[in-house]
Amino acid sequence: MDVRFKIAPSGISVDESGLKFDISDFDGYAVEAALQIKEKQADPAASEVVVISLGPDVVQETLRKAMSMGADRAVQLKYDGPIHDSYAIASALAAELKGGSYDLVMFGRMSIDTANQATGTIAAELLGLPIITAISKLDIEGGRVKARRELEGAYELVECPLPAVVTIDEGIARPRYPSLKGIMAAKKKPLESKPAQVGEERYKLDKMELPPERAAGRIIGEGKDAVPELVRLLKEEAKVL
Amino acid sequence: MSASNVVFAIVVVAAFGFFSYNVQRLVGELQIGRHDDSRWNDLPRRFWNFLQIGIFQKKIFRDGVAGPMHAAIFWGFCVLTLGTIEMILGGIVPGFSFSPYVPRLGYEFYEFNQNVWAALVLAAVSFALFRRLTKRVKRLQGAETHANDPLLILSWIGALMITMFASHATTGIVHDLMWWSHALLVLGFLNYLPYSKHLHVVVSLPNVFLSNTSGPGVIGAMRPMDLESDAAVFGAKDVEDLSWKSLLDGFACTECGRCTSVCPANLTGKLLSPRKIVVNVRERLEAEAKGDHSKTLLDDFITEEELWSCTTCRACVQECPVSIDQLSVILELRRNLVLGESRFPEEIMPAFESMEQRGSPWAFDPGDRAKWAAGMDIPTMAEMAERNERPEVLYWVGCMGSFDDRSKKTTVAFAKILKAAGVNFAILGQEEKCNGDAARRMGNEYLYQMLAKDNIETLERYGVKTVVTACPHCFHQIGNEYPQFGGNYDVVHHSTYIESLMAAGRVPLREDLHEPVRTFTYHDSCYLGRYNDVYDAPRETMRRALPMLNLVEMPRSKDRGLCCGAGGGRMFMEEKVGKRINAERAEEALATGADAIAVACPFCMTMMSDSVKSRDSHVDVYDVAEVVAGQLAI
Repeated sequence: MDVRFKIAPSGISVDESGLKFDISDFDGYAVEAALQIKEKQADPAASEVVVISLGPDVVQETLRKAMSMGADRAVQLKYDGPIHDSYAIASALAAELKGGSYDLVMFGRMSIDTANQATGTIAAELLGLPIITAISKLDIEGGRVKARRELEGAYELVECPLPAVVTIDEGIARPRYPSLKGIMAAKKKPLESKPAQVGEERYKLDKMELPPERAAGRIIGEGKDAVPELVRLLKEEAKVL
Repeated sequence: MSASNVVFAIVVVAAFGFFSYNVQRLVGELQIGRHDDSRWNDLPRRFWNFLQIGIFQKKIFRDGVAGPMHAAIFWGFCVLTLGTIEMILGGIVPGFSFSPYVPRLGYEFYEFNQNVWAALVLAAVSFALFRRLTKRVKRLQGAETHANDPLLILSWIGALMITMFASHATTGIVHDLMWWSHALLVLGFLNYLPYSKHLHVVVSLPNVFLSNTSGPGVIGAMRPMDLESDAAVFGAKDVEDLSWKSLLDGFACTECGRCTSVCPANLTGKLLSPRKIVVNVRERLEAEAKGDHSKTLLDDFITEEELWSCTTCRACVQECPVSIDQLSVILELRRNLVLGESRFPEEIMPAFESMEQRGSPWAFDPGDRAKWAAGMDIPTMAEMAERNERPEVLYWVGCMGSFDDRSKKTTVAFAKILKAAGVNFAILGQEEKCNGDAARRMGNEYLYQMLAKDNIETLERYGVKTVVTACPHCFHQIGNEYPQFGGNYDVVHHSTYIESLMAAGRVPLREDLHEPVRTFTYHDSCYLGRYNDVYDAPRETMRRALPMLNLVEMPRSKDRGLCCGAGGGRMFMEEKVGKRINAERAEEALATGADAIAVACPFCMTMMSDSVKSRDSHVDVYDVAEVVAGQLAI
């Protein structure tokens, strides 16, 4: 993707005008993985995939997309302001999840905007459930989660009993493209919206800044005559030598 | 009345009875198809097609050998049918003849024609048999064909002619024998047709009349889907989801293979054969009519691989002598794959997603759409609207023209021409979105309608009347398919627009009479040519710009032009099987010896220049706008 961001006048969020929102990549994998688990059940209709998102009303579009892929229902935890603290977000999600008696809670490994990788882990802690993070393969067998985690040059297989929390890495499954049938069905699926019980934000974002624009390249000269000047510039200006 | 007359009368009644049973059966089979009321409008146009394409065999004559051969048989049949009627009536009513009812000279003329045309038919079927048995004409081969059927039919027709002559030339018992043989062959032939691919004898003329492939209506426009109510099956999975007219196409096809012989996918070794698509429709329909619901047209007869090979170039439709629409079947099946089942080559997923999110099949920032215009002082519609101004024309740049580095040069060239000609124009900049053609032709009607409606909303907001564009896909969509959603604009392709500017003397060109002669060959874009009948404007534009131009044509040009390989969303798919279509076309262009290839479409530009470059050729590929811009006096 080649979209340049502008920072909003507040200085702590992105100017959202003209941006089109979509499911965060890792959450997309998580939705697909959840749907595949449901489809693998002996009686798929007996299990339910619920998608939950915290945010302003634009997230409803994203939730509809997840339902057009096949999720059964959706919950929006409505919150309009900018929010950065993973704990605050996780506490709102945990409050919602607590009453749901879910067997498996799946998070994306991280959101692709803040990339904190913390929300799923904190939520698991708040729920008092075991968690396996950044998994690339997932099986449910005999009431247990069997997961694979990619390590550098190796992988590990991890198990824990249900109910559990997992966070999903890429490579688990490619999200399906919603069919028109799915899009039509999603319009009729329930989407519940309620205020988010956001916890106290313990850290604050002070300032966002774009990286400085890269200066244009310079041609110093050609051939070996240009070498001394190049070396001088690399030493004095770029300070890499 | 003799016993023989009575026997014959019974035979005739039985033969016509059985034939009408079969007609009813076939009409019943057609009713399996989807309702389609677009077949009875504009009757004058339909009669004109019927005359030109049906009676005068316009498309049949596109083949210089088979054309006259077939026309002799067809016209012979028309004439000889009169003789057959006289013969049948004569068999029932002793001594019956037309002669008392017409002037003597007229009857002699009729008799003379009976003999002449019977001789011509005999000669033509003999030639056809000879050709089939000795020449192995490539387009007549193919796994989907019924190879023995034509041999039987041709022999049958030959026997009809011989027995007719023999019965005229003999008397007594030999005459009676020949007469009865002829009569039984005629009635047998009639009743064999419904079981043969030669049903086309009966169905072709109505098929031409009912077809929309040569008008009435917009040529090549896809059927708009009602996405809210059309919800049982999207597109077509089986014969019952196809228009009854597509099923009639199956009856009209005589497997001549002209469609497949011009199909760019088939010619370069892909699995697709447009003829097979039509043959499959009939095969599946007959099975369905017999109560066999165990299979579907999609998957069991026609595979995904065939469907995705199609470039939607329309060569098959153009070529069919009986106006069959192979393409509409392919596209309806694609719709089912994408909308119903999300089954498509994985490499087009990013294009779909990007079109949805960023309004372009390529993942560029919409904010960069007008980057090519930096420093050119070209206003956007929004800027003009702010000043309460409205331009003469909107220049619709298109995604390729906005983002593709090579196509941006065409964009700049065309903008320079507009400025040099003093045209008051504006662009949409960031507000322009993909026209949606690729999405629609890849079967994604949902995405297409989203884009089309957004664009129409933008065009309406600025009160746009005239649109000019350098992309034939934008041109076709906005001009021909947006009216389906209430967007009605006067859309002009840049080749036509530049030509009219030049004709009006508005384009200041250098007058350099000492320029060397340049040899160009022009590659026709399918969506400009076969879809919109624009063949002369780009050629004329170049002739006006280059007085010393030597324009050479490729063997396949104008309405026989070979696709570059990018249409129908093929631009976004990999081409893994067979020879690359753009290689086939570039070789053809280079073989003309031209020192430059001209195109009038950004997709063709990419395909042609990629292939030319890959063979280290020094031949340049230009857009017609670049040819003109290179000659500007300022």
